[in-house]
Amino acid sequence: MSGVEANDRLETVSGADADDSLETVGGADADDRFEMVGPDYVKRESAVKVATFRDWFKGKPIIACLVFTLILMGCLFAEFLINHDPSQFYLTNLNQPPNSEFYFGTDSMGRDIYSIIWQGGRASLLIGVLSTIILTVVGVIYGCLSGSTGSFGDNVMMRAVELVQSIPTLLMILLIISLMATQNVLSISFVIGITAWFALARIVRSEVRQIRNSEYVLASRCMGSSFLFRMRKHLIPNFVSAIMFVVISSVATNIGMESTLSFLGLGLPVEVLSWGSMLALADRALLLNTWWVIVIPGAFLVVTLLCLTQMGNFFRERTNRRPSNI
Amino acid sequence: MKVVCLNLNGSAGGFFSFIYLGDSVVKMQSIWTKLGKRLILFVFMIFLLSVAVFYVARLTPGDPLQSFFGDAMETMSTEQLDAARERLGLTGPIYLQYVRWIAKVCKGDFGLSLRYKKPVSQVVGPLLGNTLILGVTAYALVFLLAIGLALICVRYEDRFIDKLICRLGTTAFYVPAFWLGVVLVLLFSVNLRWLPSSGAYGLGKASDLPDRFKHLIMPLAVMILSHLWYYGYMIRNKLLDEVRRDYVLLARTKGLGKTEVLVKHCFRNVLPTIVSVMAISIPHVLSGTYVAETVFNYPGIGLLAVNSAKYHDYNLLMVMVLITGALVILAGMSAQFINEIIDPRMRELDEAGIKIADA
Repeated sequence: MSGVEANDRLETVSGADADDSLETVGGADADDRFEMVGPDYVKRESAVKVATFRDWFKGKPIIACLVFTLILMGCLFAEFLINHDPSQFYLTNLNQPPNSEFYFGTDSMGRDIYSIIWQGGRASLLIGVLSTIILTVVGVIYGCLSGSTGSFGDNVMMRAVELVQSIPTLLMILLIISLMATQNVLSISFVIGITAWFALARIVRSEVRQIRNSEYVLASRCMGSSFLFRMRKHLIPNFVSAIMFVVISSVATNIGMESTLSFLGLGLPVEVLSWGSMLALADRALLLNTWWVIVIPGAFLVVTLLCLTQMGNFFRERTNRRPSNI
Repeated sequence: MKVVCLNLNGSAGGFFSFIYLGDSVVKMQSIWTKLGKRLILFVFMIFLLSVAVFYVARLTPGDPLQSFFGDAMETMSTEQLDAARERLGLTGPIYLQYVRWIAKVCKGDFGLSLRYKKPVSQVVGPLLGNTLILGVTAYALVFLLAIGLALICVRYEDRFIDKLICRLGTTAFYVPAFWLGVVLVLLFSVNLRWLPSSGAYGLGKASDLPDRFKHLIMPLAVMILSHLWYYGYMIRNKLLDEVRRDYVLLARTKGLGKTEVLVKHCFRNVLPTIVSVMAISIPHVLSGTYVAETVFNYPGIGLLAVNSAKYHDYNLLMVMVLITGALVILAGMSAQFINEIIDPRMRELDEAGIKIADA
């Protein structure tokens, strides 16, 4: 290693192609204890950061995702899991506590709870997702429209929402349901979705009201942007953090609502299998003091709802990372 | 004298008047005109609501006569049935039925309950008190606890106590209310035999307060647990956004304590949102009484509503929908009203006469 070579390198470092030479300096034979710095020095970090598993998992609701995936898979591939016909009445085995043949016991009609849980979960999850899609689309569009029209239109739209919202959700659902013939998965998710968007619309509307007079929205208006463009480019990005949690957690709320309706005898009939229609037998189970009929399907329901909430929480926390001023 | 611009046309018009008056006089006038306008709006909305519910109720399948007479209907002659229809106001086109109904309502006669064969006011009256006890207590406790918990959470953000409250609150909120109720009954009534499982009071103990309280514990617990964190979380979210504002930093650098800034400044700024949320929440909490009353068989209007809808008892249902509707619209209006007093930003547009949205 001669002095001439070192001088050459130094020249190239300060020259145009600093990138290459720095690597050779650090990599080949320069002393590791020193780092070359010059007037154009930029601190470099290795582009490929080796992420450990621990880093990647940090802050993510991994347990919730895992448990939810398990339940979801179990419901999707129910045929491989069940060991009894879920809609069959085993009349010789009424109210059996959990045992080796009926893993979670049987209810007062002699049905195998283990099999119904997997088969019925499909209906419950589907209802949750379908109704949330309906709710979000209707709520966001209505809220944006109401928030950005003139105050007369806004007043009318919000009074209309207040009017419908002044009927408790359950009573409203009840009225709609009694207009329909028999309930199935599609109709009940429609009913739940169409009666649950008011709160979302009001949140969206109040957020829009706060930002609609901002300069950038005004500028966009002056440049002749259409309503849909403004909604997509300026309004939704501004309030998406405010509603993300609401949207994801309403999947959970809607699943809960379905089970509540079925429990009250207003939702799916007992022969259509879902977690809610299983719990409709809870009254009888109370008289017979058969805890497994109440606790096991309820536990599945609650665990699913909690997993969904955890995932919703993740979205909320990511939007709130700025340090607190307090 | 202070210069105040006032938009006399309220929110609906495009004409602006500029009045020079003392501050207090303008405030009084604007409040009274707004109140008058809202009262007219209120009557109109109640009218719309009653029309909507009347039509929906009449459209539902199921013959109301069936629920009135039950099996006796099959033995009745056509003339008798027609006479009964006439008596119950079920003849003619729907709008005529509605006009007759509204004329009677104006005289204070809400008609007969089809199921209980009694005037509606007699059926609803005694149950209203029970529901009010349950609903108002739950409502007040839910919001007091929610605000308290939210303040604690924000004061100790990301510390252990915040995380604990969040975790517990979320769990409690997402446990379905009816299931929580059933499990409580299973635990405390069926197995431990500590608390009664149903009713509002024991047999012949209507005025026995400790007994009533005992019957209230579980429905209250269910209602509070299933509503508390919904609102607590909302308030916490809003407060968390608020403590990231610049004025908080300023107040802190001036030497104010954390708790003082939080309670006196941030909480005050969030108050309009809380008031709006409280107004929105009334039907939500009322829905809660439906479930709680059904699970615990608590004799209130929630249970009555579920049953009367099942039995197509329209007259009863109408009155109940109207009661709740009136309550909620009133609350919504007063919330808007209170907000305009608390938060001057809300009426900025009206007063300055700048209506960018109308452009």
